[in-house]
Amino acid sequence: MLLESVSTMDFIGTKFTDFLSYTGFANVEWANIVMIAVGAFFIWLAIKKDFEPLLLIPIGLGIILGNIPFKDAGLEIGLYEDNSVLNIFYQGVRQGWYPPLVFLGIGAMTDFSALIANPKLMLIGAAAQFGIFGAYMVALALGFEPNQAAGIAIIGGADGPTAIFLSSKLSPNLMGAIAVCAYSYMALVPVIQPGIMKLLTTKKQRQIKMKPARQVSQTEKMLFPIVGLLITTFIVPSGLPLLGMLFFGNLLKESTKTTRLAKTAGSALNDIVVMLLGLTVGCSTQASEFLTWNTIFIFIIGACAFVVATASGVIFVHIMNIFLPKDQKINPLIGNAGVSAVPMAARISQNEGLKADPHNFLLMHAMGPNVAGVIGSAVAAGVLLGFLS
Amino acid sequence: MRKLLSVISFLVASSAAFAQGAHDFKLNEVYVYTPACCQGDSTKTCEQQASYVDEYGQPTSWIEIENISYSTHDIRNCFLTINPAVLDKNMSAPDREKLMSVIQAGDPRTTVGAKQRITFFADGNTNRGTLHLNFTLPVGEPFTLYLFDGNAVDLLDSVHVEAVPAGSSYARIDEDKWQVCEADKVTPNAPNITYSNDKIKEFKEKDPHGIAMTLMCMGVVFSCLILLFVFFHIFGWAMNRAAKLARVRAIRAIHEQASRVVEMAKQGTTETKGIDMETYTAVIGLALHEYFGGTHDLESGILTIQQTNTTWADKSHELRTLPQHFQAK
Repeated sequence: MLLESVSTMDFIGTKFTDFLSYTGFANVEWANIVMIAVGAFFIWLAIKKDFEPLLLIPIGLGIILGNIPFKDAGLEIGLYEDNSVLNIFYQGVRQGWYPPLVFLGIGAMTDFSALIANPKLMLIGAAAQFGIFGAYMVALALGFEPNQAAGIAIIGGADGPTAIFLSSKLSPNLMGAIAVCAYSYMALVPVIQPGIMKLLTTKKQRQIKMKPARQVSQTEKMLFPIVGLLITTFIVPSGLPLLGMLFFGNLLKESTKTTRLAKTAGSALNDIVVMLLGLTVGCSTQASEFLTWNTIFIFIIGACAFVVATASGVIFVHIMNIFLPKDQKINPLIGNAGVSAVPMAARISQNEGLKADPHNFLLMHAMGPNVAGVIGSAVAAGVLLGFLS
Repeated sequence: MRKLLSVISFLVASSAAFAQGAHDFKLNEVYVYTPACCQGDSTKTCEQQASYVDEYGQPTSWIEIENISYSTHDIRNCFLTINPAVLDKNMSAPDREKLMSVIQAGDPRTTVGAKQRITFFADGNTNRGTLHLNFTLPVGEPFTLYLFDGNAVDLLDSVHVEAVPAGSSYARIDEDKWQVCEADKVTPNAPNITYSNDKIKEFKEKDPHGIAMTLMCMGVVFSCLILLFVFFHIFGWAMNRAAKLARVRAIRAIHEQASRVVEMAKQGTTETKGIDMETYTAVIGLALHEYFGGTHDLESGILTIQQTNTTWADKSHELRTLPQHFQAK
């Protein structure tokens, strides 16, 4: 009896020791703690500072989730483990399913009226893509391969789904860092951009009042996604997944016959995809994969990309203003919006405009380059994919 | 009618999809086995040649076909032959089929993945399996190899093979370029060595600073958005013009209506359906006034409380006299 109870106790002891070896406490490394702190910081930024909570909360929690230490014992729990639930969700990022679905939602939510009413604003959206290629050159100089450099450079497009889409195709091993970097900088747009905008403009230029945009007919709105799709995808077929879904979503909205579908694409579907995307992108930042010199370089290049993109947008407006008649001058504060972080960048133009002149409302004008930036960055991603895949 | 159109569209789409699948197969490499070479010979070439064997371990000639597309297709029911008689356009499909070797259906190995290859053995022994053809390749003689679609009519691909040295193969190295590959470059079921498509390497070598990439990509981005700009600029102008014309037409119609009413009023024949004539003309006058600028949708956006003296605000026009102490101020 006594022997039996002794062996039972031994059994319990062994099993309990086994169990303890599986816990996070037994497997934790300093890198996990660092990453958990980063995740917590993102959540703090989102809740306390209101920095893009829709993105940073899922990503922040994903970072924590992906860095919970555990013993690799084939339990199918880790993101990188085949058949785990997280791995199944992660396939949406790896295979590039989520970004086009997000673009569908963006298309269904975006009103291109500002762009249609004043088509010259499209050129600002194109100019801001210099950020991507500035970053590409920096990445090459730092020793990255052309495909990796392209994956990193797309951060300059300030478009999370595009960054994920391109990096999943061209440099899958850097995708986690690229995605987190892109989303982090997008959340930090209100911190990065205003300084550059002020630096590149005078007070007088910031006070330029733009003429109210003309009324856009429904026919024009309906035609925009069709013509946009044809022009962009005929030139860059490799951008089809993103551009196709963007314009499809917009056609759902503007056709006026599929309001229900547009509503679903822009709300429920988009929310579901954003949740899964944010969470899995966060999870992909496992300390062992994330805490490398490459990540640091990516963050440095990403910062350069945002600075160059913002600056090139503002400078391009100055150049345009040289050729425009006096009554049609463009306020250079909307140049930053070409980076496509919709609608944060446009909101910054509005806020900076109001600081310079409380009666100057730039939001609708800034939405033009902002949505053009979405198209521009998707086209740029398509071109890079076409050249390097 | 609609149903008929739907059926036709479906059939067209299906046939297009089928055709696209078959046309993605291209002859990729041809290898002619030279038995004489290996009899008592132990050179490296002959050793290598002896290693290209079928599932039965027999060295034999083989034909490699590549699925050049990025999607999976099945090559079943397609035909291979070296008999030039099949090019006779007057020959019926059944007669042609008799001269060719069909790739049997029902074998999962005939499904070829994206950018993958399948190898058929030209040993004249079809009873050995799906991958074996009913003909052999002539040694030391030129021949032309044909790949036909499942209808035995459409030629998918063909290649003329000159007499290839023993141990070498004849391989596609680019879209339509073929060359003889020596023994160490023969690659059954693998990409042809000389066929290089490494874009990344090319960019790394020729554009180390990314300037060319920047110029090309920015050019494309600007082209796309400039085209959109041009289209919507012109379209917007046309829409504006159409709107203006519509407005002018509407004003003209009101003018005509008004002048007609005035005319009829003078003649005393206006039918106002019981409405007082003066009210009737006043309504038309008001409508005209609105069209000529009474309505506007663009506001200055400036609110002010600064007093300006207009006839509406002029003190002298006020009905009520202000108390004495106010007037004093």
